[in-house]
Amino acid sequence: MVYHSSFVEEEGITKACGCPLLPLKSHIKGPAPVSEQGIFISKIIFESSKQKFIFMFVCFIYADKTDIVDEAITFFRANVFFTNFPIKSPADKLLIYLTFYINVALKRLEGCRTLAVGTKAIINLGLEEVSVPGETGFPFPGLFSLPSSQEEADLFRNYLKQVREETSGRLLSVAYRANGTPNKWWLAFAKRKFINVVLL
Amino acid sequence: MDPTSRPAVVIDNGTGYTKMGFAGNVEPCFILPTVVAANESFLSQPKSSLKGSWAAQHNAGVAADMDFFIGDEALAKSRSSSTYNLRYPIDHGQVEDWDAMERYWQQCVFNYLRCDPEDHYFLLTESPLTPPESREYTGEILFETFNVPGLYIAVNSVLALAAGYTTSKCEMTGVVVDVGDGATRVVPVAEGYVIGSCIRTVPIAGKDVSLFIQQLMRERGENIPPEDSFDVARKVKEMYCYTCSDIVKEFNKHDKEPGKYIKQWKGVKPKTGAPYTCDVGYERFLGPEVFFNPEIYSNDYTTSLPAVIDKCIQSAPIDTRRALYKNIVLSGGSTMFKDFGRRLQRDLKKIVDARVLANNARTGGEITSQPVEVNVVSHPVQKFAVWFGGSVLSSTPEFFASCRTKEEYEECGASICRTNPVFKGMY
Repeated sequence: MVYHSSFVEEEGITKACGCPLLPLKSHIKGPAPVSEQGIFISKIIFESSKQKFIFMFVCFIYADKTDIVDEAITFFRANVFFTNFPIKSPADKLLIYLTFYINVALKRLEGCRTLAVGTKAIINLGLEEVSVPGETGFPFPGLFSLPSSQEEADLFRNYLKQVREETSGRLLSVAYRANGTPNKWWLAFAKRKFINVVLL
Repeated sequence: MDPTSRPAVVIDNGTGYTKMGFAGNVEPCFILPTVVAANESFLSQPKSSLKGSWAAQHNAGVAADMDFFIGDEALAKSRSSSTYNLRYPIDHGQVEDWDAMERYWQQCVFNYLRCDPEDHYFLLTESPLTPPESREYTGEILFETFNVPGLYIAVNSVLALAAGYTTSKCEMTGVVVDVGDGATRVVPVAEGYVIGSCIRTVPIAGKDVSLFIQQLMRERGENIPPEDSFDVARKVKEMYCYTCSDIVKEFNKHDKEPGKYIKQWKGVKPKTGAPYTCDVGYERFLGPEVFFNPEIYSNDYTTSLPAVIDKCIQSAPIDTRRALYKNIVLSGGSTMFKDFGRRLQRDLKKIVDARVLANNARTGGEITSQPVEVNVVSHPVQKFAVWFGGSVLSSTPEFFASCRTKEEYEECGASICRTNPVFKGMY
């Protein structure tokens, strides 16, 4: 059986096209909320009689929390073998989309021998048009509900762009070894077809 | 010389491999692929001109129809010369080609076991649900061609159960999960008799696991010579595969400690003789995973093996079900993966417990049933459990009395071979 997402709680999460816009541990600008458990700011103000010393401790502690992108990458090598994916929560829809995107990205990385060439190919992929449900280029026609307004469509498009960029970045760090050569244990999956969907 | 004082000959003919040996031994003398390579060059000539076919037969040699090989020799001969055609007499557990089967038995008895068939009783095996006619043909061949003094044709599932006997426990009720090379069968047996209507076949078997491993290695681009790739995949499967408890955790383990999990395969290229090495990684655990998640290999078949076993037992008569769950016996080469029994037990227990809980909830918690004990039995002779069971049963004194003898055959004809009584082995 497939591995499902653990982000089943839907309270407080904005939705677009029936898909929750889950938080990401990301530095990239975009509509995704930052993973809240991460930021911890503590301020220590030190006053002395003669001088005021203000020490501000600003700690950004990213607790070891996984976000949806981490889940997609960890589950990718297992989920890519399956042709049926029963959906248990709306977060699974995003997981399916990301798994498919990782598959596409790996296909682009197939011929790239070094990290630099791979990065270039991924950047090209990121510059391409991102389609939303309802448009012809979207790979899963029935998965998401159609956007109700232009703003919703744009919000979703920006979210998808952000989440794709984040995924590409983390994918490159696993798909290539430390010295820049491709990691064949990942690139072998470029040939797999997830749910038999192939996007040219 | 009294044949009952000599050990019986036990031959287990399977779709992929044949195990043969003598009763009383712990393991078979020979395990050979069930394949015959025959010199059929004289048959391929057109039969239109009599003169032509006579000349062709003469060209093929005086004893052309005696010129055949079986097992590994057959595979080697067919690869080296084109005059030999390969024939697989058994398909999905049933004998399809009786000519080839007779030749196979000939070579087994005279060339490999080297015994005189007139001096030994024979124990052969068959799949459940074989038509009685095929038992008749078998009896005919053995009594007429080989002149055996006695014959017993046993159902291979009952023998697999007998392989699990110890001196204290002789259960003749249980489910036999026989995962062979050609097909996988789940057979419930109650009191020594097979419950025919509950037999379930699973189209995934050892050959499919090898094909899957071959596919994975090819996708990764390992440098294996293409004519050898199936063989290499099969050997990798036999040497390195194991059953995992969770795929994602296993992937992570492989990533964290590649030195411990990634193995090297060293081979020699057949044409040039140059050595080569290739890596063996996650196919080690993805291969056996095919039984528990068939979706990863085939689109058509998606029911996992524990679910099939559960359905099979649920379709059996209700008074046998607890006994069947308690004694699930594994047999066949493809159950030899490490921890296969444990994983099967765990998954099956999950299904059974979920159903018991649902049932209890439906009655509002007033009636709680006793928990169902699920027990998957593995033992060291799983690979040839059927042969071993045959060896055990045919070394008991009651065996000779239950065989069909040559006198009976001459008196009544081949139809007596249709029935072979179940006898209590070790009680």
